[in-house]
Amino acid sequence: MGYVAVKAGKDVIRKSEQLFEKGRIEGEEPNVTVEQVESQFGRLVGQVMSEGGLYAPKLAARAIKQAQGDAAEASFLLRAYRSTLERFDETVPADPDRMFATRRVSPAYKDVPGGQILGATKDYTQRLLDFDFDDTDPTEEWELADEKPESLRNVMELLREEGLVADPDAETDEAFDTTRDPVMFPASRDAVLQELARGETGAMTALAYSALRGYGQVHPTLGEVRVGELPVEIEHPYTGDAVEVTSVEVTESESVVPVFAKRDDPQFAFGYGLVFGRNERKAISMTILDASIQLDGDEPAEDAEFVLDTVDGIDSFGFIEHLKLPHYVTFQSILDRVRTIRERRGLTNVERPEGDASTDRSTPEPDATVTDND
Amino acid sequence: MAELHDRSDRFELIAACGSDTLVRLADDLLDGETPVRILQEPKSQLLMQQVREPVERRPFNLGEVLVTTAEVEYAEARGFAMVPGKAEPKAVSGAIVDAAVAANHDETSRICETLADAAADREERRRRQWNESRATTVAFETMEDDE
Repeated sequence: MGYVAVKAGKDVIRKSEQLFEKGRIEGEEPNVTVEQVESQFGRLVGQVMSEGGLYAPKLAARAIKQAQGDAAEASFLLRAYRSTLERFDETVPADPDRMFATRRVSPAYKDVPGGQILGATKDYTQRLLDFDFDDTDPTEEWELADEKPESLRNVMELLREEGLVADPDAETDEAFDTTRDPVMFPASRDAVLQELARGETGAMTALAYSALRGYGQVHPTLGEVRVGELPVEIEHPYTGDAVEVTSVEVTESESVVPVFAKRDDPQFAFGYGLVFGRNERKAISMTILDASIQLDGDEPAEDAEFVLDTVDGIDSFGFIEHLKLPHYVTFQSILDRVRTIRERRGLTNVERPEGDASTDRSTPEPDATVTDND
Repeated sequence: MAELHDRSDRFELIAACGSDTLVRLADDLLDGETPVRILQEPKSQLLMQQVREPVERRPFNLGEVLVTTAEVEYAEARGFAMVPGKAEPKAVSGAIVDAAVAANHDETSRICETLADAAADREERRRRQWNESRATTVAFETMEDDE
């Protein structure tokens, strides 16, 4: 079935859009500002940046407001904006050890060097709906130490010192870029990590959960989960020195996987997760999927092609939601085929009443162009 | 402490400085007499953030970071700035400030003081953030066997 262009409804499309825009200002409460979204909905802002593949907190907050809180739509807006910009360069590869961490917990090591720093979390208290928000700063009266910030060593390095992690064969500086070249399978690990880093949180969580629920072999122990700021460094165009432009908030996780059926080597295997923003659920899911994909097994979460083809929120949201758009020609074709088959088999087709929409092939009033989508 | 006459150090301080502060400094430098030429209009661009994952130590692309860059010539010295986000006034102001210090403009010492103050404020914020986090460090109690 080919594409058929028809036109209709330019004015009503505009009115529909205006009705949508009204949703942002409806009600008697003051409008939420972009600044309020950025400062008070930090996790949503982080999720949108991560799924959009662009670190830009102010623009992410704007996109969330524009999309009226729809995270997938906001990520799409951010990624669409990103596609209009040129790239200055790649950064100097950042070493996660240099993260300014404000939270680090290690489920694997109780006495991890630097300590278990809980940071800002409600992980260890009851999650109950709060009907009485207290708008005062509960940390105001804290008596703080005056220590100088320090870097926390990566747990992976502790295991490496014990010989439990294989040393890399050779350090490489080239990274495959999935925004420039299509991913081919088998995909390299750097391509897998890049695609997972901008995967949709819900899809990542569901697929990682499938591995834990028995559709996979990976049930990891987390070496650590960290939240903090990672420096963004470039080579200065005049001096050639590595210089810091800014830092990005990230969540990092490493999983230790003790059983890799295909490996004879008794060393541990690992999964890695790193995402923009504060999003521990996604970072942990990324470690599980990274480790699962390295297995290259038969389960869904172990199939790189299946995982990478389904985790991108912009792809999936676009494909699912395009089904709302006109499919008149497609459906007419299906109807014709079904009727023909029924007639061929001697089954009676109920006579269609006059003016039946499925037989009406007249062209609507010409206005906006609508294209059949299959 | 960063050396403000070193271009690389200065770049970092300009990038971390507040927009209003930089715009004020640049406004003071634009006296109508000192020649200024825009070599590159302030422009939003992308940096692909690469990270070296800690197991195989191989780099991968985490995602892009929005920055704004600008380049100017001021008092016959070139200045370059790259600042986070979509921030055209801050980027071009930063480039002017960078060039002014490179040209050893009369305002250099005031610029250096202002940038140093901004850097100290940032350090202070980070120090507080760190110490707030440290206040949540777990001290485990070993459960002794009563018998």
